[in-house]
Amino acid sequence: MKSAAFRMLCRFLIASMFAMSFQPALAGVIGTDQAVAATSAQAGRAALISTLSRSDVASQLQAQGVDPEAAKARVASMTDQEVTTLAGQIESLPAGAHVSGLAIAAVVVVVALLVWYLWK
Amino acid sequence: MIVIGWIHSLSQDARRRAGVFRSALILFLPLAFGGCAWLLPQSEALRVQWPGDLEQRVELDRVPFFPQEDYRCGPASLATVMTYGGIGVAPDDLVSKVYLPHRGGSLQVEMLAAPRPYGLVSWRLAPRFADLLREVQAGTPVIVMQDYGVGPLSYWHYAVVVGFDRDTGKAVLRSGEKRRLEIPFAVLEYTWKESAYWALAVLPPDRVPATADEASWLQAVVAMERVAEPKATREAYRAALRRWPESLNGAIGLANVDYAQGDLQEAESVLREAVKHHPTSVVALNNLAQAVADQHRNEEALALINEAVALGGPFSAAAEQTREQIRKKMAAPQ
Repeated sequence: MKSAAFRMLCRFLIASMFAMSFQPALAGVIGTDQAVAATSAQAGRAALISTLSRSDVASQLQAQGVDPEAAKARVASMTDQEVTTLAGQIESLPAGAHVSGLAIAAVVVVVALLVWYLWK
Repeated sequence: MIVIGWIHSLSQDARRRAGVFRSALILFLPLAFGGCAWLLPQSEALRVQWPGDLEQRVELDRVPFFPQEDYRCGPASLATVMTYGGIGVAPDDLVSKVYLPHRGGSLQVEMLAAPRPYGLVSWRLAPRFADLLREVQAGTPVIVMQDYGVGPLSYWHYAVVVGFDRDTGKAVLRSGEKRRLEIPFAVLEYTWKESAYWALAVLPPDRVPATADEASWLQAVVAMERVAEPKATREAYRAALRRWPESLNGAIGLANVDYAQGDLQEAESVLREAVKHHPTSVVALNNLAQAVADQHRNEEALALINEAVALGGPFSAAAEQTREQIRKKMAAPQ
């Protein structure tokens, strides 16, 4: 009894796996990302290296003190192109941070002087 | 260099200061011929001619304010625009998404990426001062990246532009600990220019920015689609089609969301409309053929895919594959 039911279940599972493999979500449909990339003149290059770069960038984020799970999620939200710009650049790209009131005041004065001299 | 000279002079005695000032003036002379057009071209252009479509004064009072903590102006700026865009988040919720502890700041790419999983579209403005003001006027607060550094030093900072006043020549920003920081256009440009006028708008999916062009907006929507709920993505494509009714990629995007959600009839009707406007689009024909075939109308699908294959182009291989699949389905016993 038991083994017959078990065999049934196995058959069912095998059959459903078989059916699923023939029906990927978007069989035959061309993706919007491809369509947009083709018309935006900056097609494809990024896609080729993306899988590799994604794990690279995730580990570089971790090296900057980001929690591993968070790093993965952060990379997942980026486009291939964005991943490519980050790869190997995380330490050198500008990172926006705090700015003191004094720095703002200094720049205001500098520019005020510039404007005063040049537009006078 | 001039600027360094001036800062340096603050700590010196008065005679020395006068000397530095004189040499600074001499250095300025060549600049003076080019005027501010060379140094601050966009503020100068606004001063000379205020664009006709811009009002004199706009301020988005209702944009919230999150005073930044420590070095976290990235999370604070993002929380400001995201909350205004209808997704209530606090800066603390965003720290784990955009803050880099060892750098003590946030990267531009991550600022762009973080709002997407929330179903908000991150869109970069064209590097134009007038466009920044146009977006604010249209009701969109804009994050700008500024450099408050002097000479070779850089102090990168994010702030949110929420208003402007032509008469006083000032912009209003949510910045750091200041809810309302008013700075002259020239100062904004001086600091903003260093980031190549980097400006970011974060919008709910049903709102297309005032200055957006079709291609860049759709790219922004595709970028969101990777990680957002289909509902948000569908709204974004619908909004794009309202703005650009004949947009091919807008229609393909909308139909693909419908298709992935199993709404084949809706996908078909969107694509039929697209094919009407763009009869030579291989992608639209291919996807339409697939949606029709999935509704078991194989003969009709085959006619469509034959049209697509005959057109050739970069997607012809994909179209041939689709045709192969449709033929197989037709050959298989029903």
